[in-house]
Amino acid sequence: MAYENVKTQNPLLLKILPFLGIGIFFAVWEIVVDVGILPSTMMASPYEVIKLFIDKLSNPHPDGSTIGIHAWISAQEAVTAYILAFVMGTPLGLLMGWYKVARGLARPVFELIRPIPPIAWIPLCIFWFGIGITGKIFIIWIAGIVPFTINAWVGVNMTNPTFIQMARTYGASDWQIFKTVCVPSALPMVFGALQISLAYCWTNLVGAELLAADQGLGYLISMGRRLAMPSMVVLGMVTVGLGGAIIGVIVDILEKRFMSRIRR
Amino acid sequence: MSTDTSSTANEIIIQTKAEKDFSLINIISNEYFLYVVSFVSFIAIWHYVAAAQLLGKSLATPMDTLQEMTRLMTVKLAGKNLLGHIWASTRRVFIGFSIGAAFGIPLGLFMALNRYVNAFVKPLFDLFKPMPPLAWISVAILWFGIGEASKIFIIVIGSFVPCVLNAYSGVRVIEEELYDVVRVLGGNRWHEIIQVSFPASLPALFAGIQISLSISWTCVLAAELVSARSGLGWIIIRGMKLSKPEMVLGGMIIIAIVATFVTVMIYGIEKLLCPWKRSVD
Repeated sequence: MAYENVKTQNPLLLKILPFLGIGIFFAVWEIVVDVGILPSTMMASPYEVIKLFIDKLSNPHPDGSTIGIHAWISAQEAVTAYILAFVMGTPLGLLMGWYKVARGLARPVFELIRPIPPIAWIPLCIFWFGIGITGKIFIIWIAGIVPFTINAWVGVNMTNPTFIQMARTYGASDWQIFKTVCVPSALPMVFGALQISLAYCWTNLVGAELLAADQGLGYLISMGRRLAMPSMVVLGMVTVGLGGAIIGVIVDILEKRFMSRIRR
Repeated sequence: MSTDTSSTANEIIIQTKAEKDFSLINIISNEYFLYVVSFVSFIAIWHYVAAAQLLGKSLATPMDTLQEMTRLMTVKLAGKNLLGHIWASTRRVFIGFSIGAAFGIPLGLFMALNRYVNAFVKPLFDLFKPMPPLAWISVAILWFGIGEASKIFIIVIGSFVPCVLNAYSGVRVIEEELYDVVRVLGGNRWHEIIQVSFPASLPALFAGIQISLSISWTCVLAAELVSARSGLGWIIIRGMKLSKPEMVLGGMIIIAIVATFVTVMIYGIEKLLCPWKRSVD
């Protein structure tokens, strides 16, 4: 055998450092709050956050809902908008990549709307939909559709021209080439957009809920500020981070499953 | 039909140009013609929906929006005219972004170049990464009040993460051969870093900077929507409170213009600094 697997032993320090980093972080956080370097009106210690979390599991006061309901509402909004963005953005991008007419008609509108941060739609959404769930879904949808469309478009554009020329040589029609050559070869890019779009959706979900909501994790954070309860703010932030990470892992698993079917 | 074959190095480029007949179907399917059709029909539908009040009084016509924008240019709102508000937002973005990049890019490079730094910082960084920057608004207000500092803090947080990530992955994806060349030529570790790592990570760095800037705009808007007395986000929220959709729409259009301008500017700098980069598009 020409190649041999060489096992390298990492120095002990490299194995300890990750735990050390996290440990020091939490220790400093706890001490800074307990000793009073940061006053308790500005920051809550990890212990207080955990205590509040256990309390919020069953207690809807003082912000109106338990943390489970807040998380459920947020997840509902994000996932609905995310799926809508995927279902509409991907075909649009695929068509824009292949058909000149679709590109000509959709591109100017797309380029007009793209540079506006989704957050800027909030006031219009409040005019149009009130502060209910529809407006938030609209904002998250606008945030999520952009990466789906662009990735599908670039994916079709990156199709190997030799394949297209070969299909042409065999007399395939435009639609056949699109269906059997361009779409399959764009799929890796399309699935690549899943994570990007999810991150956009989740960020803008928080933004939308900070401004116009009566339930949801973003609302929990802004209520924490209004009630001057730093522990509630931190709890909201941690839950948002955790929720994003969990949905991210689910999307990652789905992505790998799809990708394994493509790459035979 | 005209065919043009040219050969550069080991690549053969064949370009075929077909001259199309001058007919109605070709004009209609011309891409630039379609751009105009699309743009005009977008404005027309917007005008119709607004003028017929299909959405009640919550949408202004394009003409009203334009008039409002010119009005904002001259009338002073909260002591500033439109340019003043644009400057207020842009200044926040630039200060926050500069601080975020000044800390984020070196940290990302350090993480990629030194595995001890990486082992120490990466888990902490992974802890904070999934937290959207907008979630920090409440903490920023608790810490810094509703002044300028809290807005800049959020932008720093928002622009920090993509800078670190892209600097890190930019160094990580460098081809090993480039380092080998420096070593063969007798360079030491310092030469490797200066001559290979830095320039080769530039394209990824600029991608990170573009992402950072777009997140910065989102952050500054969110911060201004929550609490501010100046800036473009304030104009939008002011329009909402006064129930003036033309003011909201005008503010959105100006945001789009300013954000596009900044993106194009960064793109120009990138082209100057890394001429070898090929565009994927």
